[in-house]
Amino acid sequence: MGKYQLGEFEEVVMLTVAVLFGNAYGVSVKKEIEDRLVRNVSVGALQSALKRLEDKGYLTSAEGESTSERGGRPKRFFTITALGKKAIEDTRETRNALYRAIPEVALDVKIV
Amino acid sequence: MNNQPPRLPLRFLSWFCNPRLLTYIEGDLLELFHERAAESGQRRAKWLFFWEVVKLFRPSIIRSFSGTYRMNQCDMFRNNLKIGWRNLLRNKGFFAINTGGLAIGIATCLVIMLFVSDELSYDTYNEKANQIVRVVLKGKMGDEIIKEAVTQAPVGATLQREFPEVLLSARIRDFGTPKASYQNNTFRDGRFACVDHDFFSLFTLPLIKGNPATALKEPNTIVITRAQASKYFGEEDPLGKVLDFEEWNEHLTVTGVIEEVPQNSHFHFDFFASMEGLPHAKEPRWLESNYHTYLLLDKGYDYKELEPKLPAIVEKYMGPQLMESMGMSLKSFNEKGNHIGLFLQPLTDIHLFSDFSSYSELEPGGDIKSIYIFGAIALFMLLVACINFMNLSTASASKRAKEVGIRKVLGSAKRQLLIQFLTESFMATLTAMLLSVVIVLVSLPLFNNLSGKALQVTDILTVQNVLYFALFGIAISLLSGSYPAFVLSSFKPILALKSKFITAGGKGMRSGLVVFQFVVTVVLIIATLMVDQQMSFIQNKEIGYDKDQVIVIRESGLLGNKQTAFKELLLNDSRVENITMSGHIPAGPSNISMTSVSPGPESVDFRRTPIYYIDDQYIPTMGMELVAGRNFSTEYGSESQNVIVNETFLKIFGLEKDALGKTIKMQTDNEGGTENGVIIGVIKDFHFRPLHQSIEPLVMMNHPNSGLIVRAITLDMPALVADMESMWNDFNIGEPFSYSLLDELYNRTYLKEQKMGKLLRIFALLTIFVASLGLFGLTIFTAEQRVKEMGIRKILGSSVGQIITLLSFNFLKLVLISFLIAFPLGYYLMTNWLQDFAYRMDFQWWIFPLSGFLTILIAFMTISFKSIKVAFANPVDALRDE
Repeated sequence: MGKYQLGEFEEVVMLTVAVLFGNAYGVSVKKEIEDRLVRNVSVGALQSALKRLEDKGYLTSAEGESTSERGGRPKRFFTITALGKKAIEDTRETRNALYRAIPEVALDVKIV
Repeated sequence: MNNQPPRLPLRFLSWFCNPRLLTYIEGDLLELFHERAAESGQRRAKWLFFWEVVKLFRPSIIRSFSGTYRMNQCDMFRNNLKIGWRNLLRNKGFFAINTGGLAIGIATCLVIMLFVSDELSYDTYNEKANQIVRVVLKGKMGDEIIKEAVTQAPVGATLQREFPEVLLSARIRDFGTPKASYQNNTFRDGRFACVDHDFFSLFTLPLIKGNPATALKEPNTIVITRAQASKYFGEEDPLGKVLDFEEWNEHLTVTGVIEEVPQNSHFHFDFFASMEGLPHAKEPRWLESNYHTYLLLDKGYDYKELEPKLPAIVEKYMGPQLMESMGMSLKSFNEKGNHIGLFLQPLTDIHLFSDFSSYSELEPGGDIKSIYIFGAIALFMLLVACINFMNLSTASASKRAKEVGIRKVLGSAKRQLLIQFLTESFMATLTAMLLSVVIVLVSLPLFNNLSGKALQVTDILTVQNVLYFALFGIAISLLSGSYPAFVLSSFKPILALKSKFITAGGKGMRSGLVVFQFVVTVVLIIATLMVDQQMSFIQNKEIGYDKDQVIVIRESGLLGNKQTAFKELLLNDSRVENITMSGHIPAGPSNISMTSVSPGPESVDFRRTPIYYIDDQYIPTMGMELVAGRNFSTEYGSESQNVIVNETFLKIFGLEKDALGKTIKMQTDNEGGTENGVIIGVIKDFHFRPLHQSIEPLVMMNHPNSGLIVRAITLDMPALVADMESMWNDFNIGEPFSYSLLDELYNRTYLKEQKMGKLLRIFALLTIFVASLGLFGLTIFTAEQRVKEMGIRKILGSSVGQIITLLSFNFLKLVLISFLIAFPLGYYLMTNWLQDFAYRMDFQWWIFPLSGFLTILIAFMTISFKSIKVAFANPVDALRDE
């Protein structure tokens, strides 16, 4: 976790981009998150997260085709980089390690 | 048409959005809009569209405005600073010369400004300074011009009574430095004056203790300064204590305490006694003037309106007394070409603009002339330094023509180049100004020592002055930086890059500036030499008496009746050649007696003439010479009816032939009593006034007088003085022994001129230094520009001498031109200065060639530093790089 800084929303975005492999652009990512996580995502929040992740080198982007419903504007497709992959794996590892470290009792007490 | 997304949010977005993201975000937004419009209608879609745009307004999306505009400015400025700094480092020598010269110029200017502002601030501490005037006496009696700062006792009160515009009046009468004691504390070091009770309402000298309105209302009261209070009374409350002045048998009660009189005041007394106890002050005598009289005028009332009304007062009050005493009405007095009148002088003019007889002033004043002279020096010094700075900046800037060319080719606008050059000049000026402040701080004690002032930097450290200083710095950097900046920034890039020998132009202007610098330098050298010459003329002038090896003990009167005993004791010492008892000393502070003298028992051609009261030893002791007749002598019994006069006396009264035995008439008192004196001797003219004044007629009478003048023959003067002191102390009178040496007194008379000479020398040196620095920088610059030319010349057979001449001649030509201006100017200024002296040296023509020679020498030495180096350089080094 120490090596890779990844916020919760950032992690969600990364994972979604990975899920949408090859078809991850602004609107598709937004919809995917909204569908899967049942939460509203504003374009602003999404775009700034994407920019941040790209600046960190976790994502890379390429210009795609432009369509008429986009007013002639091109899409920008995101793909996850090797570094990004390491980052989400690391995040997952850390989380798992934490889960494993929880003593049984702590969970039991919660149940009772 | 309905399917169109709202325009305004889109425009807003394109305004703030980072251009790299803009199209994609717009695309996303539009795609969403269309979907939503299809799903839930236009309205909602539009609203959501708007809302999304608002939420996009966040730091990571907003483009960096400073990145394109503001950031660039800041970066450019940083870049300018960096380039400027590198430039300075590359031309370290140049930079040092440039800023050093400027710093010296600014520092000199600052120090002089301190001096001038202090001189101008005299008496301005008074809140009503603008309303206060001093009454003075001016007139003419016979050949004698009367200019006295003192007036008659009743003047103040009379004017206050007669004119409603005169709100208050107060007088000061100086009583010297008496001995004062309280219990066991006895001192003699406070200056004592009697003042009217309105004194403290007129002058702003607030009382720390006591009531200013009533403090001096009663007789036998006194107000003292805080320092005196703590000296006499320590921690005790001074109010109500009694100070004893034994010499006058006066016992004065302290009724008030003030702070010290400010340093910039034209009087500095420590004791202010009430005038009420002085009977003389109340007498309506209009023929004696002993009082400094000050008036407080109505606010806004011009003293010039009051002045024309004063002759009527003189006529009304003085006329009858004149009639009574001299048997002459004021009218017939005036008809004989005489004149006497009261005039007014603003308080703030007293220090600088007074030309009243020096013994009538409370303290020696300043001189407006020195203000002008020093002001001019400050201005010129600064100009020279600025010119240098400009010259060198321009010169060194032209080396950068290529840089300018490249910059322009790369798209630099003219404005940016301007800013670049101005930044550099600001950097240099700032350095120079900081340096100058340091120089001022370091040199101020030295200057104080020379000028006899106690100037402090804190005196001018006000917000206003700091602001002025900053403005001044900006002005200098604009002035010196703007010329190179404008010239260089307007280069055509193609020319700047193509031509090898581009100069920044303005050669004529540079030459003019060099000439100006050398004019200032030469004039200062001339002035310094002239002042030096006049001073040594004064030192060596035949003054009519021998001033060396003479000890003056003015205060011998303190011994009282033991004075003669002390004198006898001294005479037994083999090192003492002669002693005379008299307080009349031809140099420095002296007893002064004046009387009206006419050249015959029946004559009424009175003329006010100084009188010396001497004994028979005076003339031999002083080493004076009799040209006719004899000295006073005990052999002839009473000499009280005999007088000795000087040569000028005979000339003025037309008694050159057979003067001996003639009788003259002298006034003995103010009631018109006279006595006669027979001339028994004529003394060779000697200078009993400073050499600024011509010798006046003088009468010497054989009359006891207090004060000892000792002629010694010893190589060890300090030992003799020490022995005299121990003899003095054996008398146990509780007064310290004080003495002065006549030659020192004599020299001190010309202290002002000597200080002036010293300061001039320093300023001349500084100016020469700064001007030389400038010349040096210019030579380096031209030499570097012509280094290839010189290399080729050498190869073609030029000798070292020829090359040096070639490099120097241009500058020496300028120096020669400067002589043409400087010589007449120096001549005019210095003859003007010499007018101050009634006795002045013969005009020394050699000063001009000498100062010229010195200047050329300095200039040549400066130039040759570099030119010799160039001349001896191996031409290969100069030509190799092509």
